[in-house]
Amino acid sequence: MTFREKIAWLSLVALGVAYVPYFAVVASGMHDLAPMPNFPLLVLLAAVSALRLAILGGGWLLLRNRAPEDARVPPDERDTAIAQRAMASAYYVLTAGMILVGCIMPFTEGAWKIVNSAIFMLVIAETVQHAVVAVSYRRQA
Amino acid sequence: MIQGVLSNRIRALRFEHGEMSQGELGQRIGVTRQTIAAIEAGKYSPSLEAAFRIAHVFGVSLGEVFQWDATGG
Repeated sequence: MTFREKIAWLSLVALGVAYVPYFAVVASGMHDLAPMPNFPLLVLLAAVSALRLAILGGGWLLLRNRAPEDARVPPDERDTAIAQRAMASAYYVLTAGMILVGCIMPFTEGAWKIVNSAIFMLVIAETVQHAVVAVSYRRQA
Repeated sequence: MIQGVLSNRIRALRFEHGEMSQGELGQRIGVTRQTIAAIEAGKYSPSLEAAFRIAHVFGVSLGEVFQWDATGG
């Protein structure tokens, strides 16, 4: 497994560990009871974002120390092609999500629901990006 | 559009050149071992430049490394 594939899997794990609990809390509706600007939810968002960064940073250091030669290898044309494919996929997902969140939801939903939907679409787009990278390396594409 | 299948003889050429490893070939043309493995398996089509580099390493023409068989159209 290449260093870049490992980083893609690490990124997926970090996204899952950090944002699945956050969106579970959001979906439970508990935060709806808190008064605006809803500091508990902001604190939770900051905490899960920090957790994600910690997993990514720690994991990256661990993987780099285990295989420093692999980490130093510059991307070749296939790595670049995979990265471009992943970015294009994530871009389409993000565009669709932002149209939904920015152009449709303001007419029907409240502020926090729009904010959380925007965060959700960002997370989905990032998930798609890293998943396309991981799957592309798995399939040798 | 004409459909076709791209194949290659990289594995055979590596064998003929003293069992050159995928890593060594990759190093000489500037790609990773995994990319050579993907090209050999027909999962990834290299750029024209990389294809010429591979042919140059083996001292053969591009057509002796890569073959394209039209299947219709």
